[in-house]
Amino acid sequence: MAKTKSLLTNDRPLTIEEAYNARPQLWWLYTLIVLIVAALLGWSGTSITYKGLATKGLTIAQGIGNGLLHPDTNLLFNLTNEGVPYQLLQTVAIAVLGTIIGGILAIPFSFLACDKIVPKPVAVVFRAIILGIRTIPSLVWALVWIRVTGPNAFCGVVTESVCSIGMICKMYITAIEDIDTKILESLDASGCNGFQKIRYGILPQIIPNFISTVIYRFDINVKDATTLGIVGAGGIGAALIQCMNSSRWSMVGAYLCGMIVLMILIEMFSTKVRAKLARG
Amino acid sequence: MIEFKHVDKVYPNGVKGLKDINLTIDQGEFVAIIGLSGAGKSTLIRTINRMIDVTGGQLIVDGTDVMTLKGRAMRRYRRKIGMIFQSYNLVTRATAIKNVLTSMVPDMNFFRVLLGLFTKEQKMHALEALDKVGILDKAYTRCDQLSGGQQQRVSLARTLNQSPTIILADEPVAALDPITAKQVMSDFKRINEEMNITVLINIHHVDLALTYCTRVIGIRAGEIVYDGPTTSVTQEILDDIYNGATIPTAEK
Amino acid sequence: MKKKTTENAYKAPLFDRIIKPRTITLPNGHTVQKPVSRTPFIAVIVLAVIYISAKVTGFDFGIIIKRGNQLGYILGRIFHPNWSYFGGDAANTSKLFSALFDTIKMSIMGSVIGATLALPIAVLSSTNINKTGAVVWALRILLMIIRTLPTLIIAKFAALIFGLGTFAGTIAIIVFTFGIVAKMMYESIETIDMGAFEATESFGANKFQAFWSACMPQILPTYLSYCLYSLEMNIRAAAILGYVGAGGLGILINEFIGWRDYESLGAVLLALFVVVFIIENTSQYLRKKLS
Repeated sequence: MAKTKSLLTNDRPLTIEEAYNARPQLWWLYTLIVLIVAALLGWSGTSITYKGLATKGLTIAQGIGNGLLHPDTNLLFNLTNEGVPYQLLQTVAIAVLGTIIGGILAIPFSFLACDKIVPKPVAVVFRAIILGIRTIPSLVWALVWIRVTGPNAFCGVVTESVCSIGMICKMYITAIEDIDTKILESLDASGCNGFQKIRYGILPQIIPNFISTVIYRFDINVKDATTLGIVGAGGIGAALIQCMNSSRWSMVGAYLCGMIVLMILIEMFSTKVRAKLARG
Repeated sequence: MIEFKHVDKVYPNGVKGLKDINLTIDQGEFVAIIGLSGAGKSTLIRTINRMIDVTGGQLIVDGTDVMTLKGRAMRRYRRKIGMIFQSYNLVTRATAIKNVLTSMVPDMNFFRVLLGLFTKEQKMHALEALDKVGILDKAYTRCDQLSGGQQQRVSLARTLNQSPTIILADEPVAALDPITAKQVMSDFKRINEEMNITVLINIHHVDLALTYCTRVIGIRAGEIVYDGPTTSVTQEILDDIYNGATIPTAEK
Repeated sequence: MKKKTTENAYKAPLFDRIIKPRTITLPNGHTVQKPVSRTPFIAVIVLAVIYISAKVTGFDFGIIIKRGNQLGYILGRIFHPNWSYFGGDAANTSKLFSALFDTIKMSIMGSVIGATLALPIAVLSSTNINKTGAVVWALRILLMIIRTLPTLIIAKFAALIFGLGTFAGTIAIIVFTFGIVAKMMYESIETIDMGAFEATESFGANKFQAFWSACMPQILPTYLSYCLYSLEMNIRAAAILGYVGAGGLGILINEFIGWRDYESLGAVLLALFVVVFIIENTSQYLRKKLS
């Protein structure tokens, strides 16, 4: 069997067999990837074991199903502070303020972390700070802030503000890096000074992007705010967890139904507004 | 009147952009500057409004020695000179009229600039500029919804809105299809004739240059190799400007 | 049935139909329609929303100024992590690292299973491959509902049903990954080139064969990239699941905050930071390779 695979040593065209032998040999790469994934999975499996259902697992599962299908309508349309509407309103309010404050706080951070604007070392330092803020889970932030503000909805606002900074900054930086600088050239040619160039060349480009980012993050913050209540930082989570702990499934169902409807509405709103901002 | 007297331009890396340019352009001329890419067309145009500083000789525009201008005086000087770019350079997310209004900005006070407060006269003036290039109906449309030709007209309107005496156009039709390119060129022609504005245009399409312009300047390697009326441009002259390379255009 | 009249004419946005545009006449007689600016309306709405939100949440900036030093104090202690968790003390070290490994294991297992389950569902929810509209929409609504459920709530449910521990956490991660990967996948499946699929069908392949041989090569890089992306998110998510009893670092976080042992909390967060940093960078490197 001819072992040569080089085209250069042969003047005649390759035979089919030679072409077959010259095929790219990547099997070792695929094998390696499969082995690595299998090893990781095997390792992961070592401490995740199915120990059967909890003692009342089945009853609880049934209860959840029942509760979702038959939510407590009384609670669902109750307009007091315990009712679903007010709890949802508070959740959204936390997300609104948290997102807006986060969006504002992120502006200086993102400019300082953009190496197109500040010297590289400064940008690196601020990027590290942002990564640090992002790594601390929102629940931990909430637990830390509770020591400052006490267990209330305002704690949720502060937590959301801080937690939003990381992701918002990341997206702001992309927006800043995407600025079309050719516009500055034409403003320069028409005799604008530095301030005028920023106001009419840069701001009109980044403001829609910034608003779009904030609205996108608002979506995420509403979802986040629903769980902050678990640690006592306001929103629907507190009531939900209480009902779950005391197995009042129809109330759980009411809270969950409210949450699902709210989240779907907000996702639709956010998608629509962002499409509008992008396309006009 | 624009006068180049022995103008040189040497870039910091030693490349010679312009070599001993002597040129006089009268008010109201429609001049096409042709030549290969990198021959110095853009450099020549950009020295006029000091987007590029010349390194030797003298450049006099309407009696002003351009190289002596600094800061505020230079910005004021630039108000008289409009510039059009190949890539339109519009804020695509803003409406057409907002883009046109930006050319008023250098004459406004700080707070009006900051808050974007334009007077009614300014807005009417901007609308008139859009009307002159025939896209008044698109005034309140966002620029990213306009076609390339319409965007180039918005940028032309923006320039007209600063009431210039000279318009510099750097490859204004290079990104447009042939039909739209002709429309934009005839806009230039009309503005040149009706408003007596000097137009200097860098252009790759020789046939368009010969159809619309009154004077042709040929540049090769930073030197003027032809300067004369459009009517006397011959195939030999074009071959000379383009280094003898075949010109991929319709003949004559 | 009444036939709908043809509406080829440009339909103005709702806003412009309610508040009519102004007509401006130029000196030369030409006119232009100027839509009334939306900005004041939007500004009023936004201000009202902010005002209501501030009322509902009891916004009080003063308290931050008054008690802000508390935050500085806690953060100060977090930034002096207890090093005995990194080899200084054998019991502490094994406690931290077993929780950390549990978190990583939950996220790897959850990501792999969730992403695997997501693929067939994503294919069935793509309008260009599945022509049965009812199925597509039913699946999409299901996915939407799954995505609205916060991971912590799912973990809490799982912990109630399956008992406390990593199994419950893995279930939560699976559900979360499934919802998000399926959505991202059907969106990108809809953008692929269907020409190859049609060609394969034309020489007699069934839908599954055609999809596997013609579409899979196109979506595989995107799919793998989404899997890695979900792994990145899952590490963070898994870190707090322990708070509701679903195993991993969350248990320690809960414990240390309860005891106000912020130095130990700092150690946990430092470990998490390092792991997140390594996984994010590896994943981003691999994703760049894929594209």
